[in-house]
Amino acid sequence: MDASMVLKAVLALASLGLVASGVLAVASKRFHVEVDPRVEQIASVLPGSNCGACGNPSCFVTAEGIASGSLPVTACVAGGQEVADAIAGLLGVDRCEVDTVVVVRACGGGIAAARAYDYHGVPSCAAAARLAGGPLVCQWGCFGFGDCVKACPFGALSLDERGLPVVDLARCTGCGACVQTCPRSSSGLLSLVPERAPVSVRCSAHSKPKERKAACSACCIACKKCERACPSDAIHVVEMLAVVDYEKCTGCNACVEACPQQCIDIYGRNVARTTGADGAGWRAVAAGSAVQEAEVAEA
Amino acid sequence: MSLAGQMALLFVGAALINNILLTRFIGLCPFFGVSSSMSTSIGMSLAVVFVMTLASGATWMAWKFLLAPLGVGEFLYIPAFILIIAALVQFVEMYLRKASPVLYRAMGIYLPLITTNCAVLATATESAKPGFFKMNIDLGASLGLGEALVYTLGVSIGFGFALLTFAALRERLEAAPVPDALKGSPIAFITAGLLSFAYVGLAGWFGL
Repeated sequence: MDASMVLKAVLALASLGLVASGVLAVASKRFHVEVDPRVEQIASVLPGSNCGACGNPSCFVTAEGIASGSLPVTACVAGGQEVADAIAGLLGVDRCEVDTVVVVRACGGGIAAARAYDYHGVPSCAAAARLAGGPLVCQWGCFGFGDCVKACPFGALSLDERGLPVVDLARCTGCGACVQTCPRSSSGLLSLVPERAPVSVRCSAHSKPKERKAACSACCIACKKCERACPSDAIHVVEMLAVVDYEKCTGCNACVEACPQQCIDIYGRNVARTTGADGAGWRAVAAGSAVQEAEVAEA
Repeated sequence: MSLAGQMALLFVGAALINNILLTRFIGLCPFFGVSSSMSTSIGMSLAVVFVMTLASGATWMAWKFLLAPLGVGEFLYIPAFILIIAALVQFVEMYLRKASPVLYRAMGIYLPLITTNCAVLATATESAKPGFFKMNIDLGASLGLGEALVYTLGVSIGFGFALLTFAALRERLEAAPVPDALKGSPIAFITAGLLSFAYVGLAGWFGL
């Protein structure tokens, strides 16, 4: 191909580009629409991940709503106190208290939970849940394929050695994207809880404790030791499952220490590492590694 | 054949007999993506009719007055046409935002989607570049501007017609007792296949 062809091609594309950009430049002036300048400012403060937790399709729509006054300054669920403060500052209104929510997982099963059959299908919780109710014997347990991990727009979830999702509370914004994705969230496997009352029961099973124990070694056995240990009457065994009353809980740690199954945990940003505070199911991992070590020693 | 007859044949051939979605399978992404409800389909159809017709006119002129005289069209037509379509979509978006905020709200998210819609590029290429027009009508070596516009209008209205038919079917399917394994996308694909049979059955009408 000779040089003149290259020149012509460049000329053709450049002239097309020039005409197009010229027309667009003129159009952007001619068809300029006045937008409330605060909308842009508010939009820049919002997280911008379009998670939809506030009920609007995008952060920009939320920003428009806040600027026009149809939404409160605390509209952004994911942003929490920080964002609400920033927006309140921009709009010149008083600060608003936001009850920060974070997501917790109510299951300690993971690799310790008994399987009804071997699942070799698509590695997705949604797919597993459709195949005869999933491979777990416990019909409340976590499948551990990490649909929630993939769904999290903030990268706050990860799967650990137990095959359970753990929440990095520093990153969790309480947007609820994982809760919407989880096929078991209707029975409370993943749920949003207020962060100020940091106790979580790592079990959501409602079967008889005996059946439950056979299906999973990490379950709540409804022994009521937590109920007796709690000084503020905040934890009760309801329908064979320990349930925390977040209005009363102070996070004193008494139930965590009392639980013989290690299925109650303290979480919260004041706990240094969430994974460390997430005790459920670790016994199964420890038992597994002990078995492996014994096998290695025998060999 | 009279000119009006030829135009009518071109239109019907483009809209029904060679329907871009159901007999040629171009632009299937919006066909499955936005066909879950009637209202979004109407928005998408309107936006496609609008942008496709404008894009064909613009690419026809770009070919006639720029690419063909310079002799660079053979290898440059795809980037040039994409550039034109993208700029056009931007322009239409700005214009709509100013001129008709209501229409802008309705079409809003579908307009940018059209930039990457292969049906628009296919139709623009067929009406502008000689040798791409495949229908069995003798229109000489290349289409004139009027013929290009009639052809594009036919294609885009055929696109909208197929999309709306499919959306109506899918809305009914929502309430139908579909077996669990087929719910959602699988039954949509099967339905699209059956719908496609109906359109393929028109093949050969009027010798097209």
